[in-house]
Amino acid sequence: MAPPQDPLYAGLGQAVRIGTELLAALIVGGGLGWVTDTYLFGTTPWGLVIGLVFGLGAGMRNAYRSAQRWQSPPDDVNKQG
Amino acid sequence: MEESPLHQFELQNWVPISIGGLDISINKAVIFMWIVIAVAAALMVMAGSSRKLVPGKLQSLAEMMVDFIRSMILDTMGKEGMRFFPLIATLFLFILFSNLIGLIPGSYTVTSQIIVTAVFSFVVYGLSLVIGFMLHGVKFLGILVPPGTPGWLVPLMIPIEIISQVARPVSLAVRLFANMTAGHVMLAVLFSLTIGGGLLIGWLPFAFTVAIYGLEFGIAFIQAYIFSILTCVYLGDAFHLHGHEEHAH
Repeated sequence: MAPPQDPLYAGLGQAVRIGTELLAALIVGGGLGWVTDTYLFGTTPWGLVIGLVFGLGAGMRNAYRSAQRWQSPPDDVNKQG
Repeated sequence: MEESPLHQFELQNWVPISIGGLDISINKAVIFMWIVIAVAAALMVMAGSSRKLVPGKLQSLAEMMVDFIRSMILDTMGKEGMRFFPLIATLFLFILFSNLIGLIPGSYTVTSQIIVTAVFSFVVYGLSLVIGFMLHGVKFLGILVPPGTPGWLVPLMIPIEIISQVARPVSLAVRLFANMTAGHVMLAVLFSLTIGGGLLIGWLPFAFTVAIYGLEFGIAFIQAYIFSILTCVYLGDAFHLHGHEEHAH
């Protein structure tokens, strides 16, 4: 099972991970906002706007987290979010 | 003769079965899922049957794989994570083998269906929630407030953390699905360019097809690895609620 340890593939894996992390949080944030707008309160467009902003924040946070996990030696992984 | 590069992902019901309005027809993806399970299980059982002290090729491959998964779990979850070894190993082997078998020309990549990856990721995430609430009770909600957050930021952090938690299974599912789908679309496009280009220019996309195919081989491993290590990380987060972890030190 060599590939993950290979620096090229490890870097590639990290790049792919962080990209999707950002995207997924944006989708979730925007989606929640849109649902609030359309089905719950009819507050178009504010739910979507706020949801996207929070989604962006969450995405940054997740991306930051996974980058942080990458840098630290394996033993410390448990201690940080 | 022009074929859409997305055509390869279309599924037809080969054996239509419907029970109580529930469509459980057998299609290409189902067949290939069975093939993946059969191949993975057969390889591991065969590798484990001899149990020599000096392992043969197959046995040492299987031992490497088991050791790899084991160190992945120990690194992310610590000793108590070994309870989840069967789950993680199953996920890893299933995803790895379906990615690899999908690379055989003419076969089907099960993991290029988002429903497959989504079911995996939501089951894993649901499991981590169940474990978290079982171990920590209501305190598990503390995962929404990261340690060291100033009080005035808490109302802002909670929605952000809720979204970032919900985004976890989504990103897990989307990542695997998107990587497999994109890779196969790329291969299909390049190869159709090869066919269309003829001898004069066709060698260029063909060279790229070969190169990307090699890359896809690596991606198959990476994606299986990422999916299972993130499973470990999420389950580990449920174990060691980070707030409490830090107070303890």
